[in-house]
Amino acid sequence: MLLGIDVGGTHTDAVALEERGGCMETAASCKVPTDHDDLLGSVTAALREVLRDVDPARAVALNLSTTLSTNAIVEGKVEDVGVLVSAGPGIDPHLFMPCRHFYALDGYVDHRGNEVRSLRGGQVREAVEACRKDGVRVFAAVGKFSTRHPRHERVMRNALCAVDGDEPCEAADFVTMGHELGGTLNFPRRVATAYYNCAVWRVFNEFAEAVKRSLDDLGLGHVRVNVLKADGGTMPLAESRRMPVQSIFSGPAASVMGIVALCDIVHDSVILDIGGTTTDIAVFADGAPLVEREGIDIGSLPTLVRALKVRSIGMGGDSAISVLADEVRVGPNRLGPSACHGGERPTLTDALNWVGESEVGDVEASRRALRDYAASHTMPAEVLAGRAMEYASRTIHRETRALVDEINAKPVYTIHELLEGKQVVPRKIYLMGGPAESMRSPLFERFKLSVEVPSDYAVANAIGAALTRTTWDLELFADTERNVMFIPSLSYRENIPSNYGLEQARRDAVNQLSMHLDAMGVKLDKDEAQITHASSFNMVKGFDMVGRNIRVRCQVRPGVTHRMGRG
Amino acid sequence: MLKADKSLGIIFFPAFDWAISPTHPEREERLLYTQDQLREEGIFDIEGIDEYKPSVASVEDVERVHFCFPDVPSVATRSHMVSAGGAIRAAELVMSGEKERAFAMVRPPGHHAMKVVHGSRGFCNINIEAVMLEHIRARHGRKRVAIVDTDCHHGDGTQDVYWHDPDTLFISMHQDGRTLYPGSGFPEELGGPWARGRNLNIPLPPGTSDEGFLAVMQRVVMPILEDFGADLVINSAGQDNHFSDPITNMNLSAQGYARMNEMLAPDIAVLEGGYAIQGALPYVNLGLCLAMSGMDYSGVREPDFTPDSVHQEKRITEYIDRLCDVMPELYFNPPAFDGSEKAREGVISAGWFVRHKDIYYDVDNISEAQTEMVRECPDCRGTVRVETRSTNNPLCLGVEVPANACDACRDEGYRILEEAQLKGGFRYIQFINRRDDEVVRHGF
Repeated sequence: MLLGIDVGGTHTDAVALEERGGCMETAASCKVPTDHDDLLGSVTAALREVLRDVDPARAVALNLSTTLSTNAIVEGKVEDVGVLVSAGPGIDPHLFMPCRHFYALDGYVDHRGNEVRSLRGGQVREAVEACRKDGVRVFAAVGKFSTRHPRHERVMRNALCAVDGDEPCEAADFVTMGHELGGTLNFPRRVATAYYNCAVWRVFNEFAEAVKRSLDDLGLGHVRVNVLKADGGTMPLAESRRMPVQSIFSGPAASVMGIVALCDIVHDSVILDIGGTTTDIAVFADGAPLVEREGIDIGSLPTLVRALKVRSIGMGGDSAISVLADEVRVGPNRLGPSACHGGERPTLTDALNWVGESEVGDVEASRRALRDYAASHTMPAEVLAGRAMEYASRTIHRETRALVDEINAKPVYTIHELLEGKQVVPRKIYLMGGPAESMRSPLFERFKLSVEVPSDYAVANAIGAALTRTTWDLELFADTERNVMFIPSLSYRENIPSNYGLEQARRDAVNQLSMHLDAMGVKLDKDEAQITHASSFNMVKGFDMVGRNIRVRCQVRPGVTHRMGRG
Repeated sequence: MLKADKSLGIIFFPAFDWAISPTHPEREERLLYTQDQLREEGIFDIEGIDEYKPSVASVEDVERVHFCFPDVPSVATRSHMVSAGGAIRAAELVMSGEKERAFAMVRPPGHHAMKVVHGSRGFCNINIEAVMLEHIRARHGRKRVAIVDTDCHHGDGTQDVYWHDPDTLFISMHQDGRTLYPGSGFPEELGGPWARGRNLNIPLPPGTSDEGFLAVMQRVVMPILEDFGADLVINSAGQDNHFSDPITNMNLSAQGYARMNEMLAPDIAVLEGGYAIQGALPYVNLGLCLAMSGMDYSGVREPDFTPDSVHQEKRITEYIDRLCDVMPELYFNPPAFDGSEKAREGVISAGWFVRHKDIYYDVDNISEAQTEMVRECPDCRGTVRVETRSTNNPLCLGVEVPANACDACRDEGYRILEEAQLKGGFRYIQFINRRDDEVVRHGF
């Protein structure tokens, strides 16, 4: 039995899924209100509820999607972080200063990973001392081009931890080294990501401890716990305690993975999750969800946190209808609940009630509110309702098109890619969320594409959480002139012979990925590891080839372990 | 988040699958480290700076500029079309107002490609700036445009394309032709008889550093640009003046490049040469991106920079000083066209300007002999007629009716075409009427 929990803004959803006769089915599900001040309470309440009818002993895994890290950052409940950077020449690193305790040290590593100028011991010690004096206990150590050569980050870590080598940290509670966050080149993002990882480290770890204890109390001490990431995958709880920043913004990803579990998506498609206040738009290419090119923004800072490409627009069931001059608009604001649920201002849901697409709540209240509001703008109520519905579908259509265009406009780097360039052309729409069923025909009218609403869409997010698999990605970088192969996210460095080639690099990337997942207790089917980028450049000095510069990126792409109803 | 002062579109197209040959300077690896540096700096996260896909130039785009023999696909590969398309995309971003400025960081380069193309010379096949500029003019009308070429090699291709065009001011600063390929680019090369002073060459001695380049910018280039009053300033941003470049002998630093760009404030920059791919390009390109977007570039520094790298000898400073004294005069009061045989600038005979050229294509080892004729016309730029033969092609003919052609010049263009077709003798004929957008290709 698999358990899935999605702690959302309004509700915490939970499901228990059981395999019966080769089919994955929902054994139990529930929705409880989310208590923002006590997320642990919400999680345990949802678990108690869902376990009422099923045997806890049968549970093998629990996948948890939580807003904890997101909330901590939004509400500013984060810890002071000491950020030490070695930037070298380029844009002034102070422009990326994420916090007060920021120290730019004089080191320089170039794009090949050559150390041009080493760190000065005295300067490092001064920075460490200054942080300690202010009581800072968690640290980010980040170097420019540390993904090519992490030496400076190691020097900073050792100084912060007061150790000489790889021994456990003594003098600090936690240190994030930039290269552990992955191989992507982007120093400002690396700084921001390392900062946030430290800033939420303590609050996340306390939560993780508490979850562990509650599970023991509920008789679930034996289950494997995974935490959802924004890229639509999970990571083992132990891993999340080292990389809490990865747990951010996992909510939309849970919904998208729910659709993947509920429907068999093979084409280029669009997923629309129409909620109360927003609609989340996600795009699938060839049946796989698209991820952000680099990473999402947290606060106002771009980071390296990989995420599914999801665009949120202010258009939901509770979005208020307004009339400006002659134009009927819906959203982007929510001014309280829909009239059919006791609100005053008519909303999209009320309009859908009027035209007969839905029968939600008190339909008569919807009609009353629309009639009153229409009268105050000297407009027949059916025109108001009709135009509101049309405005909503038009807006969703327009924003979807814009997102698809943006995806298709992304830069490419080879002549082959440019001329053979794959364009995403959606062929199908999947709808979920409250008003999904009632928006089906207006959206069909607009998109002229097949529109599907899966049967179990109310708890699709929790189903998505329960069934999503562990994802991981790594970048391998090899320089045969310097005889070095390096995988930043694993801090793995190996000496390689001069004849090391692209094929070996691809093999090594896949092997290292599966070894690492294996060590985390995750079994990987070799086919699931996908090479997303592989290139080898001849490096030439004068007119002689002196080596190869090899880059390989390998990932387990987001996916579900089972599909609902089909085993 | 950082915000750029000037919005900047970057067309980054490293052509990671194209090279002249595996160890040639113009190879796949060339922009790899530039890409690494720009990514690591997070340049595309800066508000106002965005990266765009190149367009692909069409055959028509190329034919607007060049007579290609035997035809465009034979001399320009896909990568050339993409590179020119990248420049066109940059221009469109600026012309549409989507971005204030644009930088086409594309390869292969183009500034050695002349009006007539039989093959590749100086790593260039088609002139990507000219293809871009004529694309702009076809869509947005006849603009006054200044092209400032800061590549270390003389932009002889661009000079040749615009030799007779008084609306295009071409200024090339480069290492003295007596010491470097292509061996041309002297101050007396001032443009055709009806475009005198619109082509300016500023040859600089080997060893010129930031100091010398900036002096030339300040004392020669900027006053001339101000007087010319261009609608559009284009920078052919070659980067081989760098002190670490393996095939040249200059001492310019990334700081010097950025400062020059800042002074020039080009609307569009297009990458040209530059072959110190590890020690210079990542830093020069970063400096240019920051300068173009109006940001602070003072922190950009090469790994092997020392004060000695940009040292300039006293005698060089003195030489450049004297050069700066005389250069502006060539623009403001250009000496009249000397049509004598001795001057070897061509002659005017029977209402036509005529000159002979011998051109060598070093990459493809092709020799070309060419006779260029331009009709002397008080009302327009005059119809162009080019006869050319090379070791690759038998005798070919190119005819161009300019965009502002008068009726007489247009009729003359058609007459030449008709006559050539009737009499024969030309293996290929390329005819373009820029006034009415008509193209005739004959002999294929």
